[in-house]
Amino acid sequence: MAAFENRQAEEIRDALRRHGVQYLFGKSGAVLLGFPDTTQDADLFVKRGHENSRALNAALRELGFSLTETQAAEIERGKDFVQLKDGPFDLDLVFAPDGIERFEDAWNRRVEVEGFPVCHPDDIIASKESAHRQKDQETLPRLRAFRDYWRSQKR
Amino acid sequence: MEPSSIPQEWLEEFEAAARRPLEQRWRYAFIHTYKPVLDDAKYRSFDTMEEYRRWCEENLPSWLGYGRV
Repeated sequence: MAAFENRQAEEIRDALRRHGVQYLFGKSGAVLLGFPDTTQDADLFVKRGHENSRALNAALRELGFSLTETQAAEIERGKDFVQLKDGPFDLDLVFAPDGIERFEDAWNRRVEVEGFPVCHPDDIIASKESAHRQKDQETLPRLRAFRDYWRSQKR
Repeated sequence: MEPSSIPQEWLEEFEAAARRPLEQRWRYAFIHTYKPVLDDAKYRSFDTMEEYRRWCEENLPSWLGYGRV
């Protein structure tokens, strides 16, 4: 599997927009904001809901993900976390990220970067803090410092 | 943290990254390396994040860093 590229990010953005999917780039969205870090997979925070998930499935199939009926049904049901590794790139779908109560709140705080809807750095930090993963603990001090730098550039 | 109190090395990295176009940010950020177990299935789903975190702890090598601290 090749690394995720700008072209693929644009394909996601365009396909999900065409299908009217409500989503945000999650933790990997920090890269879009300018956080100089490495990551392995793209992750999307997707709004729960039958209609949104159906639209998501249609967009994913258009992008080249070969979803079985069972897998599509699970996505429509809105499982908390789905890992796709059978498509043109690896993609994590997160319907209930740690540390973020409601999609609507995160949506209202979102940052738009060249048409990409991205979780606000505060939400990315909250999510990493709540996950309590070792790899997140190692990243957090630098990510908090980046959030403060990013804010200072917005003033 | 005020920008003045951000370690100089980090600040320089943030400033350099801010100057990069989006395409370059993606290219520099995504580095795909094989992750044992995690990359060995084409599809996985979990009803809850707690279930996913537990699965990571029970199945993935600790050095991947997915375990909780």
